[in-house]
Amino acid sequence: MIEQENNTYQLNFGPQHPAAHGVLRLILELDGELVERADPHIGFLHRGTEKLIEYKTYTQAIPYFDRLDYVSPMNQEHAFALAVEKLLGLDVPLRGQYIRVMFCELTRIMNHILNITTFALDVGAMTPLLWGFEDREILMGFYERVSGSRMHANYFRPGGVHQDLPPGLLEDIQTFTTNYTKSIDDLERLLTDNRIFKQRTVNIGVVTKEQALDWGFTGPMLRASNVAWDLRRSQPYDVYDQMEFNVPVGKHGDCYDRYLVRIYEMRESLKIIQQCLNQMPGGPVMTLNKKVAPPKRSNMKTGMEDMIHHFKLYTEGYHVPAGETYTAVEAPKGEFGVYLIADGSNKPYRCKIRAPGFAFLQGLDFMAKGHMLADIPAIIGSMDIVFGEIDR
Amino acid sequence: MTPLTQQSIIDRISTLSFENIEITTLLGELSVTVSVDKILPLLSFLRDDHTLMFKQLIDICAVDYLGRSPRYDIVYHLLSLQFNCRIRLKVAVDESDATPSAIHIFSTANWFEREIFDLYGLVFMGHPNLHRILTDYNFQGHPLRKDFPLSGYVEPLYDPIQKKVVYNPVVLPQEFRDFDFLSPWEGMTPQRPVLPGDEKANVTIAPKVTGTL
Amino acid sequence: MGIITSTDLPNTFQYKHLSAQDMTAHLQDEGANKGYVLAKLDEVAAWAQAGSLWPMTFGLACCAVEMMQCAASRYDLDRIGTVFRASPRQSDLMIVAGTLTNKMAPALRKVYDQMAEPRYVLSMGSCANGGGYYHYSYSVTRGCDRIVPVDVYVPGCPPTAEALLYGIMLLQKKIRGAQTTVVVRS
Repeated sequence: MIEQENNTYQLNFGPQHPAAHGVLRLILELDGELVERADPHIGFLHRGTEKLIEYKTYTQAIPYFDRLDYVSPMNQEHAFALAVEKLLGLDVPLRGQYIRVMFCELTRIMNHILNITTFALDVGAMTPLLWGFEDREILMGFYERVSGSRMHANYFRPGGVHQDLPPGLLEDIQTFTTNYTKSIDDLERLLTDNRIFKQRTVNIGVVTKEQALDWGFTGPMLRASNVAWDLRRSQPYDVYDQMEFNVPVGKHGDCYDRYLVRIYEMRESLKIIQQCLNQMPGGPVMTLNKKVAPPKRSNMKTGMEDMIHHFKLYTEGYHVPAGETYTAVEAPKGEFGVYLIADGSNKPYRCKIRAPGFAFLQGLDFMAKGHMLADIPAIIGSMDIVFGEIDR
Repeated sequence: MTPLTQQSIIDRISTLSFENIEITTLLGELSVTVSVDKILPLLSFLRDDHTLMFKQLIDICAVDYLGRSPRYDIVYHLLSLQFNCRIRLKVAVDESDATPSAIHIFSTANWFEREIFDLYGLVFMGHPNLHRILTDYNFQGHPLRKDFPLSGYVEPLYDPIQKKVVYNPVVLPQEFRDFDFLSPWEGMTPQRPVLPGDEKANVTIAPKVTGTL
Repeated sequence: MGIITSTDLPNTFQYKHLSAQDMTAHLQDEGANKGYVLAKLDEVAAWAQAGSLWPMTFGLACCAVEMMQCAASRYDLDRIGTVFRASPRQSDLMIVAGTLTNKMAPALRKVYDQMAEPRYVLSMGSCANGGGYYHYSYSVTRGCDRIVPVDVYVPGCPPTAEALLYGIMLLQKKIRGAQTTVVVRS
């Protein structure tokens, strides 16, 4: 009997690798250049977020969400804030909702800039990164003006946002919105009709509609595979139901379609931001429920009730009545969900974080079969993998 | 097509006539509790039925209710894109129970079940590759259980003599400060919540009321 | 032969308090007239090393994004000589940016061991400094200095790109200050 020799070569695409988008250890079985099997090993950034959240109060738990998908921090906070508001039955004032939607879309642009430019870098184009990151610096400047930190803002709280916008910020966001279309055009001129980029991305990593649904893909990965599904449209939260925007849907489900979906999503985000700027109402930005929202510092220093509320809120925190909820938002990467179980105390009982990247990375095996080694960074780049949310 | 109401989902599931099935609606979310042997038939039914079409498995997670028997709850979240609704399925299991794996119904269940095995120690029958996924390669224990300490048992350190990374028992320079907000007075404990002389005051531990301090 | 010190030579010129323009003019003058420039070996070696620190990309978590922002157009790291190299064998600086978990610790040590001397480690962010926000977690190493020796700690969560730039410049100062070359008597 003739024995078939297994001719595959095992390659360790180690946890430290410039194209690994963080800490990914990929064990590839290669037959020459063709990939037979890809086995991702994750957990190199597993920090125990869910366990730590069970030991912190609700206010102390919010910054953990910033650090999950660290390229689009505010969208994650949004999911947690919505979940806690649902359990508490809180209403968010209109201005707070508009600010949240505006910053969500600004964050979406930040995320897509990083994804597109690093995807281009993995594929071989170095210029988009240098052009795109200057715009990211401007956006991080907005973050800093509104929350104090360039990246981990801790700005969206259950009940609204932490503090109002500083004067002059809306004008600057308007300037950014007006000028940014030109920057997207510049990026497109570099990449969209580029022969080399197309050769590296068209028909690479094709995901059919059935496969995308079966493997739990959401967000741009799903939309590029010809499924018109966007949580901002189907299950709107905050003021998304009053925003007019289109949802780009791809046809072929390859890397090139995902890139195009993200470019068009950036343009739609600009439309949403413009509408928010036009419709921004006045009023409070945080709920007026004193048992949840801390008082203003000037009031805290002069009034006794406010001082007591401040003390109790920042030490013990508010108690959330027993209940459970699964709340999901349309994060730039996909559906980011928070399954929150509260037991009546001041700390969450269980907080499960459903990261979109977790489902995508599982699918790397079937997406990479039959492709060559050089296509692996292209596929990983188009999946928009960030290990903060996958490993938590 | 007619929009799907929660009542129609409940009616449709009732046609299966499973015993021990419990359906609740809380905060607008539908929750179905079944027993372990019925979970796979229910998942396939929800996915394939043309009036329900829950084509996407969004999440599987586990919850540890220490002190309750059975101790764990495995929770499945499903999404129907066609009819725009979500449903939650819950299964109550113990450590010794083996839940059947949903991998043949939804391929995405693969890593979610591995994560539950890693973090809780619950076994899934029929899973092709049930190994640790998130924690360290030789990690002992299941971290998200309520009786596992927050800081774990071992921590790594580089040993210059052996020239490799070794694991030592955890020594925290400052222990995790977990404040019990029962009362500012030190005399009060959970065992004796009333200070001597205060017997006439009505004191409740951990008040379960909406948003009060 | 002995060691030649700067005080022994005739016409030694003290460079320390010159402005950049005067220094350039002096060096050009020396180069044009004498054909050589005299300097201390220590200082030349320090200038070469500090002026071309090649870091290895060891971005683990959120701090990696700030590191990328530092290397991008606004706070350009390339202008101070830092070119990011992917391989540890070609780099002399490792910026540990992000949370170091227990699973990653052996890989970190392996990569550090592959770097050639002289090598420096910059710990970026509070997670790498001492465990940071995840200090009490079961799967996080409480500081990368438990695994590798660290030269400069940059605090912040994440440190702003400017702070990282300042940290790298402090490291350059450390390299210049600690440089000692050994001259062998013949």
